[in-house]
Amino acid sequence: MSTATVPRTATQTKVVQARNVSKVFKRDAFEVKALDDVSIEIGAGEFLALMGPSGSGKTTLLNMIAAIDRPTSGELLVLGDNIFRFSDGQSARWRNEHIGYVFQTFNLIPVLTAFENVELPLLLTKLSAQQRRDHVMTALKLVGLEDRVNHLPKQLSGGQEQRVAIARAIVSDPTLLLADEPTGDLDSHSATEVLDILKRLNEDSHKTVVMVTHDPHAASYAHVTRHLEKGMLLPPA
Amino acid sequence: MTLTRFVSKNAFRNKRRTALTIVSIAFSLLLLTVMMTIWRAFYLTEGSAESAQRLITRNKVSLVFWLPSYYRGKIRAMPGVKQVVNESWFGGQYKDQKPENMFAQFGTDPQEFFDVYKDLSIPPDQLAAWQKDRAGCVVDAELAKKHSWKLGDRLFIKGVIFPFDLELTIRGIFTSNQPTESIYFNSAYIDEGFPQIKGRAGFFGVLADSPENVPKVAKEIDETFKNVERPTKTESEHAFQLGWIAMMGNVKAFILSICLAVVFAILLVSANTMAMSIRERTREVALLKTLGFTRGKVLVLFVGEAVALALAGGLIGALTASALIRAAANAPGLNFFLSGVRVTGLTMLVALLVAATVGLVSAFLPAYHASRQNIVEGLRHIG
Ligand SMILES: Nc1ncnc2c1ncn2[C@@H]1O[C@H](COP(=O)(O)OP(=O)(O)O)[C@@H](O)[C@H]1O
Ligand SMILES: [Mg+2]
Repeated sequence: MSTATVPRTATQTKVVQARNVSKVFKRDAFEVKALDDVSIEIGAGEFLALMGPSGSGKTTLLNMIAAIDRPTSGELLVLGDNIFRFSDGQSARWRNEHIGYVFQTFNLIPVLTAFENVELPLLLTKLSAQQRRDHVMTALKLVGLEDRVNHLPKQLSGGQEQRVAIARAIVSDPTLLLADEPTGDLDSHSATEVLDILKRLNEDSHKTVVMVTHDPHAASYAHVTRHLEKGMLLPPA
Repeated sequence: MTLTRFVSKNAFRNKRRTALTIVSIAFSLLLLTVMMTIWRAFYLTEGSAESAQRLITRNKVSLVFWLPSYYRGKIRAMPGVKQVVNESWFGGQYKDQKPENMFAQFGTDPQEFFDVYKDLSIPPDQLAAWQKDRAGCVVDAELAKKHSWKLGDRLFIKGVIFPFDLELTIRGIFTSNQPTESIYFNSAYIDEGFPQIKGRAGFFGVLADSPENVPKVAKEIDETFKNVERPTKTESEHAFQLGWIAMMGNVKAFILSICLAVVFAILLVSANTMAMSIRERTREVALLKTLGFTRGKVLVLFVGEAVALALAGGLIGALTASALIRAAANAPGLNFFLSGVRVTGLTMLVALLVAATVGLVSAFLPAYHASRQNIVEGLRHIG
């Protein structure tokens, strides 16, 4: 691979810089320390797998990075932005532009077709209907579902639903793709399809991917695997 | 897809619930529209204060017999009487005998006519012009429109009962809530054209000082002109409506309370539907916000959905009310009470506004709540 094909940012820019990030959830008298003094740097173009037992704080960390939750203490820069200075509106627009989020349970809107589900984030942009259509079709082709555009989620298999969800996550061409146990609800065949897509998005489209998983096979797709335990990030192996 | 399309797809997510909501809103707005129309018809139109205060004094034997003009002064002096004006039916013919060219012509006193008929309105300069021109007349705006008459046009009315014709100049165009199908000219024209009947009038329009005094004034007039050569019969202009008018206070409160109850009921129906359907979408709200929807956008989506549903129901209700009232107005037995009663555009508009407001108000709280919801909590929501 010649250096020319590697994006300039890949070797230099840190997409995520977390320093001593802690998160405490308060529930009545209970306090849960979901993240405990986590420091991590994720470089552009990286494919990181985040593993750990249930309740170890994986989702919480992902939510921090996506600016949908705030740390109780610590510092967190994402794409160089101090995202916790953002207002609600600013962080919403920032997510729309820079973050693609894939959930374990797909979270497709049941009354919308595959096409419309993918188009949803673009409704917030200034793109014309034709431009939106082009973007949506590109995204659906990337996940191999260009022949399922008018299907409703209930007419799709689990694997196909997750691929629609991935298309929705990448349709606005975000820098950072966050996937929270994307294969958790899938059979092994569908899981492999989804993982292949994530790998391709990382390699061909240079997306930075952070994937939470329980599954060592899934983690093997990533460049780096980090472990969380009781909110603490274990040192790299 | 557009955001509007997204809203409508959301609205029809649960088809049965949506249909039931629309139908109940439609029913309520049907009722509301009918109530508003009745209110308008009885209270704003025919039940206008002047109409309720007006009496007609005519010859006891028949309308075709005359009364002496001096009765006017005597009536005016009676307690409870504010204004009196003489009116005489000319019964002439305009152009030909075709029905579309038929309308009534009355000789009257231009100085006092519009004081008695305060619910007819005419621009002051036109009234002054009519009062100055003894051969002038004023015409109903509807008639003027029908025949394309303008100010200054000359009307030739051929005498049928009387052996002379009228040559009138249109000096004024008056408007009224209900078509009068009439023109009015100076009764001096008749006195001069046919001096034999000078000093007589066809009937008198009497304005009492209050609706309550109408029966008393009627009695007083007829008592005064009882044992005379030409006795009178005095009745309220809308005699058959007197019962209504007397009750109007109660009817008003009754209609108002029904309207309020209806609005309140649809508010609850709509609020319940929206609260339910928004709660079911807790996870989706969190998803939308993850995708980049702001609080404001989420709020607009849900409120828009409720307003769209309410407007759909409102439109169905108002149109059905309109059709029903149209049918009732033509139905034998009902047409006597409802002739000319229509659901006006304004009433429809008010109904739709009420519907939209109900949608807005009913959705605002749950939608606001949803828009402020914590994304993390929303994504963890099971259900
Ligand atoms: N919104 C919340 N309120 C209260 N406790 C929470 C909330 N989110 C997460 N937690 C708690 O924080 C801990 C970490 O949760 P999470 O990040 O979802 O774990 P993981 O994704 O690794 O399974 C758990 O103990 C969980 O119960
Ligand atoms: Mg989790």
